[in-house]
Amino acid sequence: MTKETVWLAPPFGQGEPREVEAKPEVIVPLLVAGWSQCAAPAAEKEVTEHVG
Amino acid sequence: MSVRTQEILIGFGKAKQTDIATANVVGGIWQLKKLNAALANPKLNTENDAEEFGKGHEYITEVFKTSWDVAGTIEKYLSAEIAAWAMAFGLGKVVKAGTNPNFTYTCTPPNPSNGDAVELPFFSFIEQIRPGAGVVLDRTAVGCAVESWQIAVASGPGRANSKITVEFVGSGKLTEPSGITLPAAIVEKLLPSASLALTINGTNYVTNKNIVSLEFGGKNNIRLEDGFYPGSGFQTPADSTSGAIRGRMEYGNRQFNLKFVARFVNGSDELTKLKNQTTGTAVITLTYDANNSLEVTFTKVSFSMAEVVDTDGRVTVSVECAPMYQAGIISAVAKCSVDGICQ
Repeated sequence: MTKETVWLAPPFGQGEPREVEAKPEVIVPLLVAGWSQCAAPAAEKEVTEHVG
Repeated sequence: MSVRTQEILIGFGKAKQTDIATANVVGGIWQLKKLNAALANPKLNTENDAEEFGKGHEYITEVFKTSWDVAGTIEKYLSAEIAAWAMAFGLGKVVKAGTNPNFTYTCTPPNPSNGDAVELPFFSFIEQIRPGAGVVLDRTAVGCAVESWQIAVASGPGRANSKITVEFVGSGKLTEPSGITLPAAIVEKLLPSASLALTINGTNYVTNKNIVSLEFGGKNNIRLEDGFYPGSGFQTPADSTSGAIRGRMEYGNRQFNLKFVARFVNGSDELTKLKNQTTGTAVITLTYDANNSLEVTFTKVSFSMAEVVDTDGRVTVSVECAPMYQAGIISAVAKCSVDGICQ
């Protein structure tokens, strides 16, 4: 069974979002520290150079 | 002809508004039942020209609309759904996890020094009596926020032994008629008194069978007067005679409370803990089932008052706790089957 996760954005929007386990003991300290829920970042598309 | 107050329907945003002035859309609104008959009557504040010179007398000749207030109270039996809503909107910061039909909302108060918002999430509050052709009342208060919430758990088997009271205040903005067709009232999963699990300051009051009653809550002390600033807006946009509405509602100094009554027996240590100012966590859990529950944690409390009293002929101790900040002050984990609360 996969762990349930949520994405959190750092305080003041500084830095990269983090995927963390959706457990209160993990989430609450981050919320207090200013992290807030955000959408999962869009998966990066592989860039394939077309050589023609 | 008369209209019974039992006909009052209330609906409010389970989703948060996008901003203070933009009402919830129908999909973000739910209908729940309530216990109190009181309506959230909008109040129009006025002023007049009685004290102005040049009229030749002291009487009023003109009245001016100044501003609008909205305030209301929702009293309900405590359910997993209203608990999740009250924690999300009453504390203000929410993380939603889970998938249909099991959602978990982890909530804390925002912390502005760490970049969090200085306002709580807003919701719309709808009151209707016979909406439609035979309408008696149909209005939406836009831009409401939770001023306080209080949960009371008492001894006894009935639903009334586990209740929540939520007080809210509004920006003053109204929509009449609401234009909303309320969805059917949801079936709520009650969190009864008999499901309580409770540990305060190192003592499990359910295991020792000593808890008699418990009350806890929070108050946001929203700074209503700060809501009127130059440019805050009017009831009717661009109509300066329609009365001002609030353009913001920031929370003030937030306060949380926890008090309980327990049987006082040989070995009870509440008075000792008061004298020693012993500190510890307080964890309160009320459960319907594994997927519908509320767990509230006070990070650190000490006892600010402990008095031995009589409760129905039994010796009890009435204790008031002082919630203290220690890497947070309060958090709530609310589980229910409703998606999108405060999203």
